[in-house]
Amino acid sequence: MKKTLPWWLRPWVRVTAGLIVLILLGGAVGGIYLTQTVPQQPIQFPHNFHVGAGIPCLYCHPGAQWGPVAGLPSTQKCWGCHQQVAKTKTSPELQKLVAYVEKGEGIPWVPVFIQPEFVHFNHRPHVAAGVACETCHGDMKKVTVAQPIPRQNMGWCLSCHAKQAPEKWTRLSDCSLCHY
Amino acid sequence: MSDTISRRNFLKLSGLSAAAAVLTGCGPAARYVTRRPYYEMPEYAVLGESTYFATTCIECPAGCGLIMRTFEGRAIKAEGNPAHPVNHGKLCSRGLTGVQGLYNPDRIQRPGKRARRGNPTLEPLDWDTALGVVREALNGAGAGVAFYLGLAPDHLYDLVLELTQAIGAPPPVRFGALGMFEARATLVEAVRQVFGEARFPYFDLAGADVVVSFGANFLETWLSPVAYTRGFSQFRRTDGKKRGYLISFEARRSLTSGVADEWLPVPPGTEGQVALALGSLLQSRGWKVPLGAGQVDVEASAAAAGISMERLEQLADRIARAEHPLFLPGGQALAHAGGLVAARNILLLNLAAGNMGRPGGIFLSPSRPDSGSLRDVQALIEQMRAGKVETLFIHGANPVFELPPALGFTEALANVPRVISFASFPDETALQSDYVLPDHTPLESWGYQRTLAGSDRMIFSSLQPVVVPLYDTRATADVLLSAGKLPYNDEVTFLQSKLATLLNEPGVTVEATEIATFWARYLQAGGWWTQQAGLTTPTNQPDLQVEMAQGAAAPEGQFRLITYPTHLGDGSGANRPWLQETPSPSTTVMWNTWVEVHPQLAEKLGLKDDDVVRVTSPSGSIEAVVYLFPAIRPDTVAIPFGQGHTALGRWAEGRGANPAVLLGAQLNEAGDLAYGDVLVTLSPTGRRRPLSRLESRAGVYGEH
Repeated sequence: MKKTLPWWLRPWVRVTAGLIVLILLGGAVGGIYLTQTVPQQPIQFPHNFHVGAGIPCLYCHPGAQWGPVAGLPSTQKCWGCHQQVAKTKTSPELQKLVAYVEKGEGIPWVPVFIQPEFVHFNHRPHVAAGVACETCHGDMKKVTVAQPIPRQNMGWCLSCHAKQAPEKWTRLSDCSLCHY
Repeated sequence: MSDTISRRNFLKLSGLSAAAAVLTGCGPAARYVTRRPYYEMPEYAVLGESTYFATTCIECPAGCGLIMRTFEGRAIKAEGNPAHPVNHGKLCSRGLTGVQGLYNPDRIQRPGKRARRGNPTLEPLDWDTALGVVREALNGAGAGVAFYLGLAPDHLYDLVLELTQAIGAPPPVRFGALGMFEARATLVEAVRQVFGEARFPYFDLAGADVVVSFGANFLETWLSPVAYTRGFSQFRRTDGKKRGYLISFEARRSLTSGVADEWLPVPPGTEGQVALALGSLLQSRGWKVPLGAGQVDVEASAAAAGISMERLEQLADRIARAEHPLFLPGGQALAHAGGLVAARNILLLNLAAGNMGRPGGIFLSPSRPDSGSLRDVQALIEQMRAGKVETLFIHGANPVFELPPALGFTEALANVPRVISFASFPDETALQSDYVLPDHTPLESWGYQRTLAGSDRMIFSSLQPVVVPLYDTRATADVLLSAGKLPYNDEVTFLQSKLATLLNEPGVTVEATEIATFWARYLQAGGWWTQQAGLTTPTNQPDLQVEMAQGAAAPEGQFRLITYPTHLGDGSGANRPWLQETPSPSTTVMWNTWVEVHPQLAEKLGLKDDDVVRVTSPSGSIEAVVYLFPAIRPDTVAIPFGQGHTALGRWAEGRGANPAVLLGAQLNEAGDLAYGDVLVTLSPTGRRRPLSRLESRAGVYGEH
């Protein structure tokens, strides 16, 4: 009598199941990858040029000194300077800015230096303590469109917090400092 | 485990399925999100942090203080202002839905002209042309200009009053449905007769120990519901004092009667007689009640009210034992032919109790009420009908919807050559206007409220914009000032000139010596008021007597109709889905109009729950759905007010019926509508329409 295998041990079932798992896995990895890539910015903003021209970071991102969020510049902030800049009329990239001004719309920037929702990062105490912007954001003189810096995780935060004065360490290492 | 699948393999398979589910379904959402930053960021804005503005709610004339949370230029959430004397940080459902007015998709977004009245499409108009129309209207014959204003805001009334004086026009007519339902004119007139001053009474519920309410639905809409609800909660507290005892005389069990210790469903219109009978019984218990010369027939009054003598004696005993008894004259008791007598009787009981200006007693609000009666509206309608009104300006009111059609407002409107509405929403009156010059909604407006019936002190409650106006709307005050008839540049100049009289006052929240400082602090605090509570003590004791009030039983086959306002207020709340979705506190019905019928009456008429019934009065008829309500007199039916809109946007239109159609045009002595005297008949239509309700219907009457 021929010995029958249970159905889930038959080779064709196993091969099909394996293929399905691989397809699902591939789809999932692809999907996750897509959610993690930075979308196109509305304007290919050259940080290097602006920082190189001597404009302080806090001029366009003033929220960093007052509150949790540094903020992205409003249309009128850009236009305040650019309406007097000759290149505004000629550069095709700046024509996009002109279009936003004419439509009276905000520029739909995509923030790239972001933390997960369970982390409450606040710029203000860092700026007040004299931490330079480039400590975390890198040297923007060398960057055109802002790109996220990988692995800005909890260990990375703590590595800097640990270097602070010992009396501050109790507070700076408290979970609820950022997770609340 | 079965023979064909082992435990090990089962676990393997489940592990595999779980892993597949996790990998495919539970991946993170997109990490990067597009932001919509400001086009132009205000200087005060701190990104990522809320900005809070103090302003005043003018969804009803009570004028509660608001703290609006705004986030990056958008109004997010309304909360009560904890420092405000009216609401002390609390708020009602109407105030909470203020943002649904601001962001309502049906708002009128720019000025427009209507080619033909009743045509819903507005031809866009630029503001220069619109202001030209207003200027031309105001430059015309002064007497031919008329203003119809709602009960709020007060600053616009003050401005229009000055304007009409400057151009020689008649003073503005100020009227609203909420005032109609609480019979404001009757209340104020009775206060004038009893205490010598035409003011709103303020009843100190918190300090009273026995409150006798004659149809005063103070937990719903009466005068200042949040203030009185707070007073009521203090009244019921037992920390170191006696728990307050509430007695309510009302034909239908409203929310207020529902929490009363004793609810006595007297026939509508007999409240004045009950007050008289109580007065007589209290006199025999040592009170000095100014009774009339003739012998009071207490038994006849008790019989008319359907209360046994024994019960009435018990009530009188309880009131006589009380340290601070308080008597409230509510709208349901006053809106009758004999309403003024009833109001006087009830106020005289307060007088006899020695309630003037003592804790748990009665005070007078410092500001003039400044609202008219329906008689003033009738006079305006006469003028309109006679063709004497060339331009009618309408702001803050929806007379085509609110007023009983029997008054003939809509027909008289046809004789007015130019009707200009300042409505923010396409309501019934805006639909019948030639021009619509939309005002900002309250959360985008400047202003003040100064007549706050629920305030225990003198107050100017401030309004300021919490967001930049969303659309191409313009403040009505600025539109009227643009005609150059008054010496103010704009609305803010006008407001500051009015507030300048409050400078250098001691003992107030905003002490300043010059207007710029005053203005900044006044806006930040949410208004100007005195540090100490204090109202005028009514002292005048005229030679008035408690009199017999009229009141008759309904003839066989006819029923008394009670129309009462709900959280939809004067009907303007019907375009807020949050309010539509809020269940009625006594029936749990939402989104519709129902008619409350006692189960006994329903059985007699062969009506079942959810039957559509035709309600007919001498003035008209409507169809509504029957709600079997055991907490109403069997000779009385009740219909809530606020639905039945033919305009006012997607959530209000074509929903329910408007009971104003049933109300006649009979006025009482003080010029208020005697809506409590309306008699109706019910006739089944043979149709059914299940009401949307929160309560379970299973087993209530064994029908479903």
